[in-house]
Amino acid sequence: MAGGDGDRARAPKRHKSSAPPRTIDETAELDYADDVDDDVRDADREVKKRDFTKLELKPDHANRPLWACADGRIFLETFSPLYKQAYDFLIAIAEPVCRPESMHEYNLTPHSLYAAVSVGLETSTIISVMSKLSKTKLPREIIDFIHASTANYGKVKLVLKKNRYFVESPFPEVLKTLLRDDIISRAWISPEDSVGAPSFTVSKTAGEMASGHEDLLDGMELAAATEDKETHSFEIDPSQVENVKQRCLPNALNFPMLEEYDFRNDTVNPDLEMELKPQARPRPYQEKSLSKMFGNGRARSGIIVLPCGAGKSLVGVSAACRIKKSCLCLATNAVSVDQWAFQFKLWSTIKDEHISRFTSDNKEKFRGMAGVVVTTYNMVAFGGKRSEDSEKIIEEIRNREWGLLLMDEVHVVPAHMFRKVISITKSHCKLGLTATLVREDERITDLNFLIGPKLYEANWLDLVKGGFIANVQCAEVWCPMTKEFFAEYLKKENSKKKQVLYAMNPNKFRACEFLIRFHEQQRGDKIIVFADNLFALTSYAMKLRKPMIYGSTSHVERTRILHQFKNSSDVNTIFLSKVGDNSIDIPEANVIIQISSHAGSRRQEAQRLGRILRAKGKHQDRMAGGKEEYNAFFYSLVSTDTQEMYYSTKRQQFLIDQGYSFKVITSLPPPEELPNLKYYTLEEQLELLAQSLNARDDMIGIEHLEEDSDGKALIKARRSAGSMSAFSGSGGMVYMEYSTGKGKAAFKKPKDPSKRHYLFKKRYQ
Amino acid sequence: MPQVMVVARNFMDMVAALPAAKLDMLYDSAFICEAVLRSLPPLAKKYALQMLYVSAPVAAAAMEEWVLDEYAAKHKVAIDRLLQLRVFVEVRDRRKEVSYKMNQKFQGNMQKYLVDGGSLPREPIPSSVTARLPTLAELEAYALEQWECFLLQLINSSQVERGTSFSSSMMRTFQRGLLSSRDGEAPRLTENGFQFLLMETNAQLWYIMREYISSSEERGVDPTELISFLLELSFHTLGEAYSLNTLTDVQRNAIRDLAELGLVKLQQGRKDSWFIPTKLATNLSASLSDSSSSKEGFVVVETNFRMYAYSTSKLHCEILRLFSRVEYQLPNLIVGSITKESLYGAFENGITAEQIISFLQQNAHPRVADKIPAVPENVTDQIRLWETDRNRVEMTLSHLYEDFPSKDMFEQCCDYARDHGCLLWEDAKKMRLIVRVEFHPEMREFLRRLR
Repeated sequence: MAGGDGDRARAPKRHKSSAPPRTIDETAELDYADDVDDDVRDADREVKKRDFTKLELKPDHANRPLWACADGRIFLETFSPLYKQAYDFLIAIAEPVCRPESMHEYNLTPHSLYAAVSVGLETSTIISVMSKLSKTKLPREIIDFIHASTANYGKVKLVLKKNRYFVESPFPEVLKTLLRDDIISRAWISPEDSVGAPSFTVSKTAGEMASGHEDLLDGMELAAATEDKETHSFEIDPSQVENVKQRCLPNALNFPMLEEYDFRNDTVNPDLEMELKPQARPRPYQEKSLSKMFGNGRARSGIIVLPCGAGKSLVGVSAACRIKKSCLCLATNAVSVDQWAFQFKLWSTIKDEHISRFTSDNKEKFRGMAGVVVTTYNMVAFGGKRSEDSEKIIEEIRNREWGLLLMDEVHVVPAHMFRKVISITKSHCKLGLTATLVREDERITDLNFLIGPKLYEANWLDLVKGGFIANVQCAEVWCPMTKEFFAEYLKKENSKKKQVLYAMNPNKFRACEFLIRFHEQQRGDKIIVFADNLFALTSYAMKLRKPMIYGSTSHVERTRILHQFKNSSDVNTIFLSKVGDNSIDIPEANVIIQISSHAGSRRQEAQRLGRILRAKGKHQDRMAGGKEEYNAFFYSLVSTDTQEMYYSTKRQQFLIDQGYSFKVITSLPPPEELPNLKYYTLEEQLELLAQSLNARDDMIGIEHLEEDSDGKALIKARRSAGSMSAFSGSGGMVYMEYSTGKGKAAFKKPKDPSKRHYLFKKRYQ
Repeated sequence: MPQVMVVARNFMDMVAALPAAKLDMLYDSAFICEAVLRSLPPLAKKYALQMLYVSAPVAAAAMEEWVLDEYAAKHKVAIDRLLQLRVFVEVRDRRKEVSYKMNQKFQGNMQKYLVDGGSLPREPIPSSVTARLPTLAELEAYALEQWECFLLQLINSSQVERGTSFSSSMMRTFQRGLLSSRDGEAPRLTENGFQFLLMETNAQLWYIMREYISSSEERGVDPTELISFLLELSFHTLGEAYSLNTLTDVQRNAIRDLAELGLVKLQQGRKDSWFIPTKLATNLSASLSDSSSSKEGFVVVETNFRMYAYSTSKLHCEILRLFSRVEYQLPNLIVGSITKESLYGAFENGITAEQIISFLQQNAHPRVADKIPAVPENVTDQIRLWETDRNRVEMTLSHLYEDFPSKDMFEQCCDYARDHGCLLWEDAKKMRLIVRVEFHPEMREFLRRLR
């Protein structure tokens, strides 16, 4: 597990520099402490007031849906008649901060504007639509900010046409600027007839079909967007593409390139025969996300954000079916590789021989001219010595030109891994899929430029209302520590055992037991219990006699347990360590009980909730007022007066911002149930306490023997000195923006001004 | 509105509290008589009218027969009120039987009133003199602005742009009971102060007027005169101009204060000066319950503890600031969030969770007011939980005993205290024990006996 450990030990800022090649174990699970956290929320604590009362209200402000503040914060009324249009617009240009029922908040950021420009919105359109929707006159700062942010972005495209790379732009002066650069001019292949002054090929491209904005740009503005535009282009040497791209990044020439793939005109790469099956009907939001990707008849690279259970795989498969070229699909672990292969077969007409899986246990040979290969990030990025078989396959992957690089769960993969994967594989178009773009250490910047801008992000609450994902009842169950456990918890010498102590709190155990019993017996539900703490996981599972899966559970064993859970009425509860956070698809489960978790990681909380988001039951029952308005349950058990309370609040933040609410339950289990549950007597409890206190040492022993990724990483994480916030995982895309939106406070204490994004530098000097 | 604890429910309570001689003096004015009559509960009003032309005392026992037995309680309330206000005067005959007689001054004035009708204490100035007077809408806006400005100053807000001309000693009088100041700290709003802010304007006005009147003697002004003037004022016509020349010195001083509060607007013509009563003044004599105009709510609370208040009022902003963190202020929207820290600040000042919740519920924006609940359940639950979180530590006064000469003695003491259920804590190693404070004398006695 060198990869995982190395990553944890890595200094937060290192990822910017090109990391030295590290060895990555090809069997390893992806287990990265994402979210390097600067404790953005803490910065908020100092009271900041933003007084924009001087903004001039328009006389008909009641009919307009939004306010825009000079610092980039936007407030949107959801009950406005213009809400739908305003929402579509805002989601394209701004980053959602929180989206509860009545009022949404967004932040304008350089990245969000970059994404807007890259799906074809123009500066003037953004400003005019926004000022139309705004209740007040737009603050001068906002207009300047939009101009500054969009000045360079989206101006240059890298297009692969008939296997020749072209740099394309509607602005010839921009191309001239680029050609003044040494590296780019060296890569430039000038047409033979024009020697001397650079001249560009001029062609017409069909205007943007700029998806979804038509309705609100009534007439006038739209004209600008749809009319055919002249584009200028020059060709570059294919071997120099990476260098040219590097030169265009914000830290150099600052004209980040959008990548587009004109797949219809690609005659060099063989077509892959695959269509969506007729029964695969993408839902409206899936259509919308695809239309953003294929807006102008070409395939754009970028990231699509959909909640778990909302059908990300269908979007991925549909994209592959439209491009109809070879597709490399990357997942995080072997189980999810199987699931992707299954999804391809389920939704598309692809022939079985055209799809192959490549994992450490399962090295299927690659056949035919074109095909789909599903593998894990680790397999591709693996730096050590490979077996002969896998070396052959990897060679094949390296040499092939891929039409689509489909990347699942992009938020969990560290940037250096991406770099490696992307440099190894040659692809025309990259599509990243994720449920939660919360990670934003600066790694999101990398994602933006390594893959592409965020193309689409769905609103969780709207999908719930539409019945596309389950309506989850979230609850935080407060379990008071027993006197004895709390006394131990408070002792200084037990500071390293705190996690075990609050996870093993007998009251928590009993609440958990009660909930399992209740849901199994009264409702016939399928339950997943999550525990990050390995000791807690094993003790709970053993005591309650339930199957469990953790890091060292073999692939075969995992598959067997999951199969039983899905199909047998005897296995209704499984215990998962954090290997279950991502990608293991368990559509049957509808109850989650969380007994211990990875400090304050909001992403983990969202991922876990995602395990039960897949909508179940009849559609009409699930709608508001139906007989099963809630049929999914998410319980987070916390021991009161411990660190867990603090973490728990942090963890929930992302979901709360998506409009979920956590109900606090203080009286579980009910008193009359007490004698029927385990650990009723003090003796039993004391025995448990003794076990817990002695647990640590032999746990280390076990982990060393079995080389378990989870356990080991966990211990390492607890041992390492460093800020707790670094492990709490609250640095997220949304959240960083949250604080920058608030502007100054976040910038009052910049650690190093040179690290600021250049746009911020401009703004906050 | 939450139950108002700080305020006499009615202006008339204050009148009733005046000494008999002063009260009788008040009844010299027909207006006061009318105002008092109007303020009476319905049954009392009926009795007063019934007795208007009866000059002989009526036996209390006879009066009791006027109502059915089950309404005896109401009857009692009515009679009590009439006696308090000295509309009825108690008369005892030789056999100590009680009978009631109407206050003669009151009776005379009311009889005259029925014949002549009321005449205003002063006539409005004709419009030829005043030229353009403010419209009713302008007047109301003016009144509310004045009032809000006064309140902001009252709660010591830093947001005050323009202070009122009240002397600081007068301001302190008003702040009495609403603000508390700990040593060296800026004064903070107390629980009552918060409740005061949550009350509707009329109720607040009553409170301030009461303070104003009851402190008048300190300023060398007879409260009776003030009361009568205020009652008079409430009979003036809204929006008309009345000359300042018709006022006595005391009244002229008072009217300036009232202008600061927004009860009247002062204007100056070429020769004359006049005052224009606003709605605040004309509402003075209306009883509290009548004036509860239902204001439209303005607050939206979301499940993520964000709070959006559709308001332009600085005062609203100040109120919200008492228990939340205000983050953005827009022309017609205040954005804040309810945090543990902000609530702890509120609890510290004695504001309760229930007060905050009921404020949020009662002022819910029409968009969310129809929803059940108007404030998300998880938010109200959490507010309550945070409050109870603070109350988990219980204080028990107690005494600590240590330095026991022997283990044996220590144990005897422990047993003795335990047997009486007063042992709170013991540490056998260091031989220390703690008992309830009320057990201390017995314990001492016990120790003496042991020695």
